[in-house]
Amino acid sequence: MSTKWWIPYAFISLAMLGLVIFRFAPIGVAIIGSLQTVSLTGERSFVGLNNFTDLLGDPIFWQSMRVTLLFNLVINPLQVVSAFALAMLVLQQGPFISFFRAGFMAPMTVSIAMTAVIWGILLEPTMGPVNGFLRWLGMAPQPFFRGSEQALWSIIGIATWKGAGYWMIFLLAGLMAIPKEVHEAARVDGAKGWQRFFHVTLPMMKRPLAFVLVADTAINFLMFAPPYIITQGGPNGTTHLLMYEAYQSAFAYFDYGRSMAISVVVLVMILLIVVLELRILRPKGAR
Amino acid sequence: MKLSRRDIVKLSAAGAAAVAFGGQAKADTTLKVISLGSWNETVTSEGLVKPIKALLPSVQLDIERLPFNQLMQALDVRLGARNADPDVYIVDGPLTASYASRGHLLELDGIVDKSAIAPSAVIASSYKGKLYSAPLANTATVLFYNKALFRKANIAFPETDPGKRLTWEKTHEFGKALASKAEGVWGFAWDQSERPYEMLPLGQSLGGVALAPDGLKASGFLDSEPFIDAWTFMQKFYSDGVSPRGLFDIPVVWELFSSGKLAMMVGLTAAWDTFAKSNVEFGVAPIPCFSSGKPVSTTGGWTFGINPRSAHLDQAKDFIRALMNPATQEAFLRARPYPPFLTDMWARMADYYTGDMWKIVRHEYETTAVPRPTTPGYREYEELLRLALRDIQMGADPKTSLTAAAQKVDRELRKYR
Repeated sequence: MSTKWWIPYAFISLAMLGLVIFRFAPIGVAIIGSLQTVSLTGERSFVGLNNFTDLLGDPIFWQSMRVTLLFNLVINPLQVVSAFALAMLVLQQGPFISFFRAGFMAPMTVSIAMTAVIWGILLEPTMGPVNGFLRWLGMAPQPFFRGSEQALWSIIGIATWKGAGYWMIFLLAGLMAIPKEVHEAARVDGAKGWQRFFHVTLPMMKRPLAFVLVADTAINFLMFAPPYIITQGGPNGTTHLLMYEAYQSAFAYFDYGRSMAISVVVLVMILLIVVLELRILRPKGAR
Repeated sequence: MKLSRRDIVKLSAAGAAAVAFGGQAKADTTLKVISLGSWNETVTSEGLVKPIKALLPSVQLDIERLPFNQLMQALDVRLGARNADPDVYIVDGPLTASYASRGHLLELDGIVDKSAIAPSAVIASSYKGKLYSAPLANTATVLFYNKALFRKANIAFPETDPGKRLTWEKTHEFGKALASKAEGVWGFAWDQSERPYEMLPLGQSLGGVALAPDGLKASGFLDSEPFIDAWTFMQKFYSDGVSPRGLFDIPVVWELFSSGKLAMMVGLTAAWDTFAKSNVEFGVAPIPCFSSGKPVSTTGGWTFGINPRSAHLDQAKDFIRALMNPATQEAFLRARPYPPFLTDMWARMADYYTGDMWKIVRHEYETTAVPRPTTPGYREYEELLRLALRDIQMGADPKTSLTAAAQKVDRELRKYR
């Protein structure tokens, strides 16, 4: 029986429509907007690459770039490793394992905005319960989000608290899909636990790991809510991520062209890094 | 064609129905109004909705209350869409020029009687000589103090006489004596410690000018010696453990005072109601000034403006007229303890504006009040200074922070030249 050529396209048309409306169109708007300037009263005019060349000499942009790169350099490996460790942990069979699986997944049910609000209260330096607990233990209270030394790490901590359980699900599915026979064969051949992990599990997890790393990178480069809700980019610009700067540029300083240009730069960075990650994690023999 | 009696009855019924439905359609005109979150249900209902509805029975009000800390950002996002939403919105006085210059406010000359408003408020609500926002509630700050904590520390209460006001140096000294780490009591706090509204008077007390007279240059003003000195001193409150770091929510600071955990607070008169309902025995005094400086106090407050893209411009204008009606203003001011913008209200509400707090406020308005800078770039100015004040509070070097902030403000103000 022959299938009409358009049927597969019909099946994916709705999804494609969503993709065009909610992904490609905003990207197109951002790219066009990055080549324009918007007057205070809303008139647009074409300025070519001026917004990008202005960014090159803008110290605030470069400060945000440094913070964003540091943030991503730490959070992406941290979240993937944490998610993988959790997945390995809950892969084991044992009493209450479903409880632990659900427990690790629970933070993903809370939105990132709510996560920021909740942790903002918990880690509030003056009246927050975490510092109250530290005082009760006789330890010095910590500045957390209010200290230049701790603010970025605190944001990395809460984002990982929320993200690790979510990425764990994908990695757990990947681990469960590895045939038991492969592990059995390795065991019969005398491979020890860590050898089986490095020579069997890891190579067979390249595809799920690639997906998790790529998706995680994209999400973390676009991180906005915690700096907006908790730190406002401070103290001293230590949590001033690029997306927060893009927001400030558009809605506090009314420079929409600059804001769009920053968004396009972030998009290009994500694309480059994702391509690199996919190349590194490409399974042997895959094209 | 001859009409029967039955036809006439039918036509009459149809006509009556048309009138009724027409009237219903008019009554169903709903104005979307953005207001302030801290004006709770009672304040909004008794102070705004009821008096305005009494004057405009055919208009429904859909009031959306936004929290103060998110208000400016949310308004800028909404107004940036340049559509008909909202019809009417609350405007922080100094932002009038900012919204007007970006085409977000309808001119109100001819709708509002300017002669009834305090002249300083007319200036603050105007842009290029035309009125763009209708003043509702002025604001002022006083020093609230906890009498029990003062007695316990054996310190005399601050004087209510503005001529004998506390100095900042003495306030710091008292705060240090009143604070108790063991009991979780703080010596002193501002209820808006990151806002130029409450922090500018410190530098102005030492002779600082917050912005160039043309409103378009901050370098050489914001980073001048008086502000560096003033905010270096402010930093001592935090580094010496007198004030709690990082409390940027007004209600949280009020809660600290209401629960007896804060000995002194410079804050809005609006806090009075909250404190009066608590078990704390408190007094009020004028806000401090530096021993080597002059007293400077805050002013400027809440106004309302019309979105020029509103689909209900006539009703929105009626709303503003109703808002400026003395009966509405009185109802609102009785619901929330703010000073008035309409000059006649002091006499009209003489029974209400009595006691130490209002005596102090009237004195400050007449002698020490300095409005915030007038500039179309106030939104950018406030945002950048707010972030710098946060950093200074957290321990950043005031000179470095202010120089950087002033340069950033200059860059953002260039577009208004």
